[in-house]
Amino acid sequence: MSSEQDHLKETDTEARFEFKKEERAAVKSEKGLTEEVIRMISEDKDEPEWMLERRLRALKQYQNMPMPTGWPGQPDLSELDIEEIVPYIRPDVDKREGVDDWTELPDEIKDTFDKLGIPEAEKNALSGVGAQYESEIVYQNMQEQWEEKGVIFMNMDQAVKEHPEIVKEHFMTTCVPPSDNKFAALHGAVWSGGSFVYVPEDVTVEMPVQAYFRMNSEGMGQFEHTLIVAEPGSEVHYIEGCSAPRYGTHNLHSGGVEVFVKEDAHVQYSTVQNWSKNTFNLNTKRAIVEENGTMEWVSGSMGSKATMLYPCSILKGRGATDTHITIAFAGEGQDIDTGAKVYHNAPNTKSTIESKSISKDGGRTNYRGLVHIADGAEDSSTAVECDALMFDNESTSDTMPYMEIEESKVDVAHEATVGKIGDEDIFYLQSRGLDDDDAKKMIVAGFIEPITEELPIEYAVELNRLIELEMEGSLG
Amino acid sequence: MSTQVHANLTDEQVREISSGLDEPEWLLETRLEALEALAELDMPDVIRTPGRDWTNLHDLDFETLVDPLDAAEEKDQVGPDEVEVLPWSEAIAEHEDLVREHFGSTVDPQENYLTALSTALFSTGTVIYVPEGVDAEDVTIRTEMNSRSLFNYTLVVTEESSSVTILERQATGSEDVEGERYYSGVVEIVAGENSYVQYGSLQNLSEETYDFTVKRGVADTYATVNFVEGNIGSRLTKTETSTELAGDGSETQIVGAFFGHDDQHFDLDVKVWHRAEHTTADLVTRGVTDDTARSVYEGVQDVGQDAWDTSSYQRENTLMLSDESEADASPKLIINNHDTEASHSATVGQIDQEDLLYMTSRGLTPELAQNMLVEGFFVPVLEEIEVEELRDDLEELIQARLRE
Repeated sequence: MSSEQDHLKETDTEARFEFKKEERAAVKSEKGLTEEVIRMISEDKDEPEWMLERRLRALKQYQNMPMPTGWPGQPDLSELDIEEIVPYIRPDVDKREGVDDWTELPDEIKDTFDKLGIPEAEKNALSGVGAQYESEIVYQNMQEQWEEKGVIFMNMDQAVKEHPEIVKEHFMTTCVPPSDNKFAALHGAVWSGGSFVYVPEDVTVEMPVQAYFRMNSEGMGQFEHTLIVAEPGSEVHYIEGCSAPRYGTHNLHSGGVEVFVKEDAHVQYSTVQNWSKNTFNLNTKRAIVEENGTMEWVSGSMGSKATMLYPCSILKGRGATDTHITIAFAGEGQDIDTGAKVYHNAPNTKSTIESKSISKDGGRTNYRGLVHIADGAEDSSTAVECDALMFDNESTSDTMPYMEIEESKVDVAHEATVGKIGDEDIFYLQSRGLDDDDAKKMIVAGFIEPITEELPIEYAVELNRLIELEMEGSLG
Repeated sequence: MSTQVHANLTDEQVREISSGLDEPEWLLETRLEALEALAELDMPDVIRTPGRDWTNLHDLDFETLVDPLDAAEEKDQVGPDEVEVLPWSEAIAEHEDLVREHFGSTVDPQENYLTALSTALFSTGTVIYVPEGVDAEDVTIRTEMNSRSLFNYTLVVTEESSSVTILERQATGSEDVEGERYYSGVVEIVAGENSYVQYGSLQNLSEETYDFTVKRGVADTYATVNFVEGNIGSRLTKTETSTELAGDGSETQIVGAFFGHDDQHFDLDVKVWHRAEHTTADLVTRGVTDDTARSVYEGVQDVGQDAWDTSSYQRENTLMLSDESEADASPKLIINNHDTEASHSATVGQIDQEDLLYMTSRGLTPELAQNMLVEGFFVPVLEEIEVEELRDDLEELIQARLRE
């Protein structure tokens, strides 16, 4: 193992995530959601008129839409009061588009990302890194070799100004329109920050591009927007990490992710989220995949109080492929409702969904999936596999797949299993000299291996460490 | 949201049905309360995904479909001597206490609009009472519906260490009834300690008939409630077949088969609630959709917090014979106790083209080859059916459909 990996492994992850900084904002909006707040955000960003208009339209849609209710087993959102959320905080940094040198950041922000290990990760073969603090990107860097090939990786606010034609075409138009759901509409009104990734035709970005999102202030909402456009034949791997310290009141994270996978392109989108346990994580993530394109979603959901997140792929072109690999871990007081949605709208499309979940100390995990195979999507296939591991009878683990099949020439299979940690396995490991805790940790590590092996090593180590943390203290 | 209020149903009609069956006051009250509750109750739950109800019950015109005082049927209710198989009015006369104790105990009369409608209006029924230690086979109930609407009720009560096998069939008679019809059936099974109930149902109603049924059993300690659910007929069927495993060591098996063609719609709901220790459930359903038929399957395995040492399995397979048909499935696991071994699976697909090629290359016509493969598809379900008569009848109905 390299020294960087050792460093990551030995870092005290808990301390790294739990610390909080004194709030220092240049601009902070009022609580709640009004036209004035929206105009203020847009003005502070010096946005073009068309974006302000889109924001205001989304606000109207938000106001007219009901909260999602009545889903079987839905997480409780009653404690979420959007009128109490501060939707916009611009941190006090000199340079608005984000600095490209860590040393130029104010000490407390630099310190934050140092503790999270982000500069370390950047040294380890990443093509570029963006870091968002509160509502804005504060650091952005792209390796020159990629810039020369025409790859664009910049913060979303900047992209609105510098690449208006691409953004205008793709931003919340066809992939995630604000009308999709209440929180997509909210996002459309107050979005701020996030990443814009553009990969030109036939360019392969060999190393992952990374963005890290950090919520620091109490009672704030973070609404970053990620837009990825992968032109025909291109390839890119985007990773995002998220965290926020714990606070007494509720935070809201309602991001929007739109991915355009053009013909023969290949996009992998990996997330490890560890929001604090007061955060409502209500995201909308979607990809539109054209002919022979491939979309891969890899996600680890650890933190948050309640998560409702169902990354979605629309397989629009013949031969398009989708892969979902997800892991959810719910500890005390957590309700992680996550899964996958796939629309097979063209022939010869293929999807595989592999979902793993662990619930412990009264936590709830739910796999909620939707596979839709449209009439005419012949020779399509989908395979869904869900495995749930439960530690105790206070915890809950549900599986709710929905399959709507309108085409006969298809192959659809769904399988799910639930079980406790095998007593025999533990006994076996104990007989080899491990104590009970270590035996359980080892079994869990083995259980989630299909996920960790998809991630770059820093993230895999991080994920393992997070899960170990969740398991410590309450075992035995 | 409440559904339509039945303008053309009155207290007087309900009183007339009740007095015609010589019912006691408490039962009349239950019926009247159910009638009154209609204004407040909603339709049974159906699966909803964004923008879509998988089955639309709100569109049914119950005002036209329901003709409460004009029910007509042919019924056989037979069983061996040692067990009581009683038509409703006889059951009320001879076993009022038993009926009072168990009526509405597994299916709440006011669970939803359709159960309340059934409770208010049922005019025919059967009570099967199996005394302690008695083993009874071959209880058969045949209901032939000869009117626009028919509301049927079945109550099965088994005492300790008894066993019974029941086969109930629903069909439409040859009497001329113009237009659409409505059949409603409520089945309650109360299985006493260490008793064994095998309840099979074969629904072959005319394809102008809307069919709503709920069949629910409660199994006491070491008891077994098994269901066989065959659905061939009707235009639209909305049915729930479910067991509450309420006693330690209780078991259930729910086996279902359906075959939809033309524009038939089957909404099948299979549920098990594990509520005690060491309980076992096995849910197996296979079905075929052809033409523009549509199947909606929801299976729920619900393991309660105190249900230690649970074993629960569910399989659902749908074969689609036509591109215009649709097969929707949602098998759900709700697990609140980790000492559980549970799995579910669902598949949807078409006939294996290689199998078809192999068979046609051996000289079979494509049609015959397909029919044989469909018959073969049902074999794993048919094999699970212990009652020979039911197995044969179901097989025959499947074959008849294939010959059409």
